[in-house]
Amino acid sequence: MENGKDIADFAVNYGVSHGASYIEARVVDSRDESYATRNGVILSGGITYSSGIAIRVLANGGMGFCSTADLTKNTIEDVIEDAIKLAKASKRKTPISFSEEKVVQAKWKTPVKIKFEDVSIEEKQKFMIDIDKILNKEFRFKLPTRTFILDLYSDEKYIVNSEGSKVESENSIISTISFNTAKGKTGGEQRMLNLGGASGWEWIEEENVVEKILDDNKGLVKAARNAIETNLKEVDVVISGEVAGIMAHENVGHPSEADRILGREGAQAGESFYLDLIQKGNLGDIKMGSDEVTIIDDPTRPGNSGFYLYDDECVKAHPRYLIKKGMLNELLLNREYASRFNTQSNAAARAINYKREPIIRMANTHFVPGDFAFEELFEDIKTGIYMKSFTEWNIDDRRFQSKYVGLEVYLIENGEITDTMIRRPILELTTFGILGNVDAVSKDFNSPHGYCGKGEPSQGVPVWLGGPHVRLRNINLGGKNK
Amino acid sequence: MSENENFLKIAIEIAQKENVDEVIAQRIKGKTYQIRFSNSLIDNSKIWNNDILELFLAKGKRTTQIDIEAPTPTKIRSTIIEASKFLLKLPESFLYNGMESSLYTYKKFDQIFDPKIMNFSEKAPELVNAAIQTSLESGAKKVAGVLYFGYSKTDLLTSYGNEGSYDGSYYRFTIRSFVDAESSGQGIVCSRNLSGVEKKFMQAGVKAGEIAKMAVGGTQGHPGKYDVIMSPTVAANVLGQVFDGVNPLKIMIGMSPLKNEHLGKQIASEDFTVVDNALLDNGLGSRPFDVEGTPTGKTPIFTNGILEGLLQNTSTSKMEQVENTGNSIFFDFGIGSKFLAPGPSNIVISGGNYTLEEIIAECKKPTIYLTSNWYTRFTNMMDGLFSTIPRDGMFLIENGEIKKPVRKLRLSDNLLRICSNISAIGKDVQQIYWWEVKTPTFLPTIKVDNCTITAATQ
Repeated sequence: MENGKDIADFAVNYGVSHGASYIEARVVDSRDESYATRNGVILSGGITYSSGIAIRVLANGGMGFCSTADLTKNTIEDVIEDAIKLAKASKRKTPISFSEEKVVQAKWKTPVKIKFEDVSIEEKQKFMIDIDKILNKEFRFKLPTRTFILDLYSDEKYIVNSEGSKVESENSIISTISFNTAKGKTGGEQRMLNLGGASGWEWIEEENVVEKILDDNKGLVKAARNAIETNLKEVDVVISGEVAGIMAHENVGHPSEADRILGREGAQAGESFYLDLIQKGNLGDIKMGSDEVTIIDDPTRPGNSGFYLYDDECVKAHPRYLIKKGMLNELLLNREYASRFNTQSNAAARAINYKREPIIRMANTHFVPGDFAFEELFEDIKTGIYMKSFTEWNIDDRRFQSKYVGLEVYLIENGEITDTMIRRPILELTTFGILGNVDAVSKDFNSPHGYCGKGEPSQGVPVWLGGPHVRLRNINLGGKNK
Repeated sequence: MSENENFLKIAIEIAQKENVDEVIAQRIKGKTYQIRFSNSLIDNSKIWNNDILELFLAKGKRTTQIDIEAPTPTKIRSTIIEASKFLLKLPESFLYNGMESSLYTYKKFDQIFDPKIMNFSEKAPELVNAAIQTSLESGAKKVAGVLYFGYSKTDLLTSYGNEGSYDGSYYRFTIRSFVDAESSGQGIVCSRNLSGVEKKFMQAGVKAGEIAKMAVGGTQGHPGKYDVIMSPTVAANVLGQVFDGVNPLKIMIGMSPLKNEHLGKQIASEDFTVVDNALLDNGLGSRPFDVEGTPTGKTPIFTNGILEGLLQNTSTSKMEQVENTGNSIFFDFGIGSKFLAPGPSNIVISGGNYTLEEIIAECKKPTIYLTSNWYTRFTNMMDGLFSTIPRDGMFLIENGEIKKPVRKLRLSDNLLRICSNISAIGKDVQQIYWWEVKTPTFLPTIKVDNCTITAATQ
């Protein structure tokens, strides 16, 4: 990294002296170790190192971006000249500008107790094979197809810009994916469970990962064997942190992205229905849902998969209150879009590697926990469902019409969760249909991991997709895809 | 000896010195350019300087794959020595049954490289701005999209002595036009060569603008059963989920609606004929050999609705005791390490006899015409239960005519049922490759009967 830092500093000076009104250089050294098994037998394993530099410039009101893994000075000079040429060639009528931000010189790192490199390859494989043995012993023919992936990613990063900001960081993310098929009487059910966090190898024990995977598969097997079709129509629905988390992410986090609102993702991830709202009202005055709804995106929460303390534009991170007590409160901003909204960036710029530009991303978006104990959520429900996990989901590209299909789902009767499981109930709801019907949020917090896709080329950034349990009243269940 | 040949030979020699049994060394070097635009202006332009050495190492049934960016002899040596040690600590792979060991020579495959690409960056911004202008003139109020183009040289050497090289060029252009926030249309054009590129960009821009204009005034559609006309863009995404599953590995791990018992049986409509063809002059997935050095070709997938076979590489073909189709790729699950497994090159659906206008005119039942879609996800991949979200212009057809634009609907259906309910195939075959379709697919408009359309309940 020392050579990379010198090259990045050189790049910034070179860019300034060759016509860039702004230049940032980001050097990233990363290591990605990964394994996959199928039914406990290895499918793949490998360690890949990556090292390179990203150069982003503003010149004549246009933006240019180049990357290379060749860190020799001659190549860097060529790359910068290319980036400046590209920026100028765009011939924009309205120039791109960045918000003014504090110049910082900072270092941050993810707290790690056990580095991935310090754990033997054998121990990592044993962890994977043991998980499969546990699942096979517990479920045998009921869970015939099991795929498991372990990914151990770490990086060192150095970002420097022509305004004098310099940020160094070390990050470490561990994640697992289990994709299993359970056999039932009328077919089967499938489940993809993502767990992960910003941590070292200690995460596996501290987060009881084996227990979580086993518990989740119990739900999958039960759903495949016991869930029944029903004709439930309007019911109260309690959703787990996992389901509430994906809703917070898809229905609130994505439409809050300012680049989407102002059209930059128009041909890719789409725009945002927030555009209609902010054309008619101001932040703080726009009603999004019930008073119980407060949704935050917080990159600074320790351990979350999207953890960072400074973003990839050298802006200090802090929690972002997207919705506060039912009112639209804050958007997700980088420097370009903060400038468009005439405000400050709230540090939402992230890039997954040195080959990608930093764009506006979520980190860890969730309902803020409320006052209810888990049991209290069910007390006055006459007929309802408890959706503990989900399978299929999607949402339109303005982030208004969403669909979430339940997997492990229980019937609630007279205030109690029953043993009766409901097969694949569908919540096909608008964002207002979700947020307007929330009347209670629990105190607890669950934190599944996931990869959020956006950008061109697509950048799958690690995020947490969790939160507390949430109760929705009077929900009409949706139509099925038979 | 060129630098490429030298690096590949160095890699193989070092790996063999480290007692690795089988080695693949593939270097891909070139440049990728991108011009992004939104709100009718170029918002960022990018260049990626690509130089990657992909290595596959096997000792017995132990395998690993590594990439070396900007390779140098020193980097190659240290990476292979570390990877060889790592390899010895890995258990045996259940999937690996060896790689291509027969020796081949490859015919020249010059058609996929257009030398004009080397100077295209000079005029590309101007062409993008012209296409934006054309779309605005055809009725759009704002335009977004992306142009990618670039070139690469691929060099391959394996420890069995298979040695080959080819150059490739390409562009792909997506333009999405908006009249208002909910009235939009999209045009796609992609190719290996630049002939007529200016006109093609303009046509894509006009198409996007015209669909957007037609979508103005759309209202909430009604859920129910409809026949559905899928544009090539939509069909490439939806049916692409089936083609993605024409893969023994995907079947094994439950990520395909296809099953071995479907082989040789009619599971799609009679008119449905599909091949994987790696040797198309214009296919973005074209290549003369796969990563193992097996010559590529044309592999039947569906013939008149009958599932003919799956895509294979050396390992899966040995496992299934069938012919190797030359479809080996470095496969991953979107995360984590790569390994050898089959993957598609270019998927080609044979065109039919109808124009889009004729398909529309023949619609006797209420029909929904989808021009684009995104976000396809599954309740169960083995069952093929999925839904996808229409975007851009969506139209209700009644009595053989487009009646009105509709909005806010979802196609919620089953892949195998869709295959068996194909009722008309157009003759407007075009190549689709964009954000939502990552396998180059040549296909026409396709009509499917009796689909389930759903909508939000509140």
